[in-house]
Amino acid sequence: MSLATRMIAVLTSVGLISGSFLAIVGQITKEKILFNKKHEIEMAALKVVPGAHSVKMIYENRDFAIFEDRDEAGHLVGYAIQAAGTGFQDKIVLEVGLDPTLSKVLALTIIEQKETPGLGAKITDEASFLRFWRNRDCRQELSLRKPPVSDPASLAPNEVNAITGATISSQAVLNIVNEAIKKVKQLQSEGKLLSKE
Amino acid sequence: MAQKTIKSEFFKGIWSDNPVTRQLLGLCSVLAVSNAVINGVAMGLAVTFVLVFSSLIVSVIRKIVPNQVRIASFIVIIATFVTIADRVLAAYFPQLSKAMGPYVPLIVVNCIILGRAEAFASKNKVGRSIIDALGMSCGYILTLLLMGFIRELLGNRSILGYQILGKWFEPWVVMLLPPGAFIMLGLIIALFNLIENKIKEKQKLR
Amino acid sequence: MNLLVIFISAVLINNFVFYYFLGLCPYLGVSRKIGPSISMGMAVTFVLSLTAVASWMINHWILLPYGLDYLQIVSFILVIAALVQLVEMFIRKVSPPLYQAMGIYLPLITTNCVIMGLALLAALKNYNFLETVIFGVSAGLGFTLAIVLMAAIREQLDLADVPRPLRGAAIALITAGIISLAFMGFSGIIK
Repeated sequence: MSLATRMIAVLTSVGLISGSFLAIVGQITKEKILFNKKHEIEMAALKVVPGAHSVKMIYENRDFAIFEDRDEAGHLVGYAIQAAGTGFQDKIVLEVGLDPTLSKVLALTIIEQKETPGLGAKITDEASFLRFWRNRDCRQELSLRKPPVSDPASLAPNEVNAITGATISSQAVLNIVNEAIKKVKQLQSEGKLLSKE
Repeated sequence: MAQKTIKSEFFKGIWSDNPVTRQLLGLCSVLAVSNAVINGVAMGLAVTFVLVFSSLIVSVIRKIVPNQVRIASFIVIIATFVTIADRVLAAYFPQLSKAMGPYVPLIVVNCIILGRAEAFASKNKVGRSIIDALGMSCGYILTLLLMGFIRELLGNRSILGYQILGKWFEPWVVMLLPPGAFIMLGLIIALFNLIENKIKEKQKLR
Repeated sequence: MNLLVIFISAVLINNFVFYYFLGLCPYLGVSRKIGPSISMGMAVTFVLSLTAVASWMINHWILLPYGLDYLQIVSFILVIAALVQLVEMFIRKVSPPLYQAMGIYLPLITTNCVIMGLALLAALKNYNFLETVIFGVSAGLGFTLAIVLMAAIREQLDLADVPRPLRGAAIALITAGIISLAFMGFSGIIK
């Protein structure tokens, strides 16, 4: 066999064998990986709307998605909005729950962040950040309370707490949420917030 | 005699030819995933898997592959095993896979793997190649674990997520950040050099 | 606006060397003199820009439409290898002086994790075409900045009396750590 044919033969067979191997592995893991991705986002969408039993995606754009949350009887209990933006270090992805009239933030959860551990990363922390996001009035823009208070009850209805030493991260989250709420309201006024039955 | 060479083949990867501290290969993954011990364990296992299996295959086919397409075939083989490791992690350990981000796929350009395939497995018998790969992996894992251990303990007061140090210890957050990784690895390499120098001096005295 | 964010973030905040730890081999190997470091940086920036374009096309025109995402790693690495070969041949034919200046670094670049890292990160971050190109160029500039900074410091460091065990890679890594610490000051400049 000449060298050229040997080279081609070897490369082709290496390519074919590894290609078929990968195709098998790809098939086996594909569904599981897709399920993992979907599962995480849907669990978050359930979490941010209390009383929700099932979710359905009704709108999707790059880095922005709206889910409809329904209770067991099938009544609309709120919307979960997935949104993203730039934080202190890198991208922050979060989900925020809104009531059906879009006038109240129900809860917030952070899906992805790379903020400074011990400071900005506290945005994922229930005790120091997330619990101050329950039931905020979002008919007007939300604003940041600094210096932070220790009791959620002493915040104004449209205020959320900043984190001491991580104002930029807190502000970034706030901006993402305000932006997302604005977008949802815009979509609603255009009549695009209807479930495609 | 034969047994001794196998032993030294294995142990050279851990100390005298340690891929990280002596050969300075694969630094990016060591620095990136060593902020917690668990990431280090997962990364170490992934690299071991890729290194052992690609060494095995490269060694098996070493006589069939013409010299000119050697590197190309090695890269395809390595990339195949890296993809398998990446997909399996993403499917069954989604949290870990997310924490390690692009660094699992980046094993494909980790110089340890191609370096061993090229320098050792393509010239040696299957058995020895596997021993060599195992030794190198062990050296890599041990360095990774040492880094992960120090960084997680000082940066987060914990090991594998369990709190070890009490509240009295103010965590060194910088240890979890990139600068901490660079400085810690620099110090570890310096320590290894120091020990190596001491050993050499002693041998000279004898 | 978004493009500016990507640019600043890839050059300063999430610098490929100081934040993603990519491209450390040439960073430790080449960065001893400022001159060669600039050539290396230029070569990497050039290849990064081309890789950004090529990897985006492969990902969005072939892999994703046909559900072949499990071939991502294999195809990226092969494309990068082929691309570097082509660039090398092209430069050698067209401009021998340029080849003299940066040609010797090109083969090194194939196994450089900066390039592969860029292809993977751009796919992971789901950037569109323009964003990917900007990301590639700015990642290259960030790498150049890092490698030149490091060379400038190491030229001085050669004159210093460094303790023996720290010489070489150890002090280079610690220096990198301190520069990386300084770069952390850039975090949060995008709001």
